[in-house]
Amino acid sequence: MKAISDKIKSIAAGLFDAGKIDVFIGWEENHPDYAIRPYIARSKADLEHMAFNQYAIHNSSTYLLKLRDGQERIGIVVKGCDSRGIVRLLEDRQIQRERLYIIGVCCPGMKDPLLAIKAQSGLVDVKEEELAVKCQNCLVPNPVIYDELIGEKQPPHMSGERFAKVKAIENMSYDERYQFFEKEFAKCIRCYACRQACIACDCRTCIYDEMRPQWVGRETSTSDNMMYHLVKALHMAGRCIECGECERICPVDIPLMLINNKLAKDANHFFGPYEAGMSYVEGQKPALSVYREDDPDDFI
Amino acid sequence: MKVLSKDKVTALLDKIAQQAAVFVPMANENGSGFYPWNDEHKTRPLLLNALNVYTSPKYVLFPQTERMYDLKQQGQDLSIGQTHEDGSKRVIFGVRACDARAIRCLDDVFLTRGFVDSFYQARRDNVTLIGNACYAPGVNCFCEAMGVAMTEPETDIILRDAGDEGYIWEVKTEPGEKLTQAVAEFLSDKELKAPEAKAFQTQVDYAGVAEKLKGMFDDPIWERMSQPCVNCGACTYICPSCHCFDIQVKMWGDQGYRFRCWDSCMYAEYTAEAGGGNPRPTGVERFRNRFLHKLQFFNERYGYALCTGCGRCTIVCPTGVRITDIIKEIKEVDSSVEL
Repeated sequence: MKAISDKIKSIAAGLFDAGKIDVFIGWEENHPDYAIRPYIARSKADLEHMAFNQYAIHNSSTYLLKLRDGQERIGIVVKGCDSRGIVRLLEDRQIQRERLYIIGVCCPGMKDPLLAIKAQSGLVDVKEEELAVKCQNCLVPNPVIYDELIGEKQPPHMSGERFAKVKAIENMSYDERYQFFEKEFAKCIRCYACRQACIACDCRTCIYDEMRPQWVGRETSTSDNMMYHLVKALHMAGRCIECGECERICPVDIPLMLINNKLAKDANHFFGPYEAGMSYVEGQKPALSVYREDDPDDFI
Repeated sequence: MKVLSKDKVTALLDKIAQQAAVFVPMANENGSGFYPWNDEHKTRPLLLNALNVYTSPKYVLFPQTERMYDLKQQGQDLSIGQTHEDGSKRVIFGVRACDARAIRCLDDVFLTRGFVDSFYQARRDNVTLIGNACYAPGVNCFCEAMGVAMTEPETDIILRDAGDEGYIWEVKTEPGEKLTQAVAEFLSDKELKAPEAKAFQTQVDYAGVAEKLKGMFDDPIWERMSQPCVNCGACTYICPSCHCFDIQVKMWGDQGYRFRCWDSCMYAEYTAEAGGGNPRPTGVERFRNRFLHKLQFFNERYGYALCTGCGRCTIVCPTGVRITDIIKEIKEVDSSVEL
């Protein structure tokens, strides 16, 4: 990790020196090591505390949204999942490829800083794991879009069948499924962390922030909570790049990736072969953003 | 002194629960929080020995969604039906000093300075607080730096964990005395020694920060410190003292009700204006507001900070924002430089 960290710093310094970038998105070291945090350097001098370690789990591509309206040329470090986030933004026309210089890191899998801090918080009875949950089922550890690649290519980390959990839910009866999700969504405190950390949530005005009319009520009740998650799920179909940030950061541990995995499975089944954000081709669009007359509609 | 032996705790809770809803720190599947001591919940593990629980008792006094009154529309007229002020008896058992201080913050906001929030008052007037003194602060704790005495929670009764021999039961107020009389059968007279308080593991220096912040509204530090923040509301909803709310209406045809729900200064919609403007257009302004409110504005109005040093926001933040780092960085800014 130290070698990767040094390499990132030296590449970034070179890019600033050569006048190729105006800002650089990566991580800033902090104490303790799991407190490493996303960081936007605006000059070579800002690179001093830039770092990369096993806790650099956040999806760095999310931070491009803070810069989407500017003109700055941006250097950015991405892991495999983060790079798919860049494809999402390019397809959604939220950023121009010419503005980016992408440094890809072949990712060995990260540890979850939230689990690290919770494990020693005295408030929650959890133990830190060697590999973050979201990294235990990672299909794409290596960046899919980059200008420069760091590290040896990594094999996917699959700890079982990819859709095993989804299939378990599919095998339940309607009532069982409803009860399962009703119980999970009852926990939701509507903090919108899952939306804010989501790279596919790149709308400028979110439907939940619309007041006239107000599409989704603000009560923490079964119906409003379900409406929130249902609407979010439909917006994710064919667009979620499965970085797992929503589920990782949910403060009440709602299994959000169960829904996103189901959507990925269905998008592939009905409109595939399709996997969101695996490569970028100019003009390419997500599966559900294109209409074809032979699209299946028997499920409607 | 009065002592509550540990094997009598559940019997005492059962007794109080006959007259009031009792909220007790307990574990849940993924975390911990204050749960009602009733048949549905009391099988959960009791967490009186834990440092604290993940979800603070704030919601007992200030629920996330609270129905206010029913209403009916008749032509051009609107008639108001039943109001839902809830003055039922409640006891919160095992409150740590940081969370008790947070309740004092809510009291000041909702009950003082010329306006009384009747919904909050109905709940507050009927709540008795039983504190649980802290003697061993955790790694993310810094209540002392925020002016909170961990061994002296601002509650009606204070429990002091004297080990196997039981809890010292210290009565602090009139309502505390009343509750004590009702549960006298579970208390014995014994002399016990309270434990020695351990040192804080995290050092924070808040002295002078509120004053210094007055000149830092336009400081570039906010842009820099807000960089990792994704403007979710997790910190505001887990915070024991954050109290912003919105009032909204739910209608079915001509009938409905008005309710209030927690709101968060992290959201763009929070400051959205009817005309389309927004005085806090980006995450930087929203981030700045949260920390100025915690560390400066509240202090100016009430004389103490709105942060109680419980450390929960640090634990829950998805991107590693730490209020202790922010206080430190504010201290380090050279304020002699003209902006």
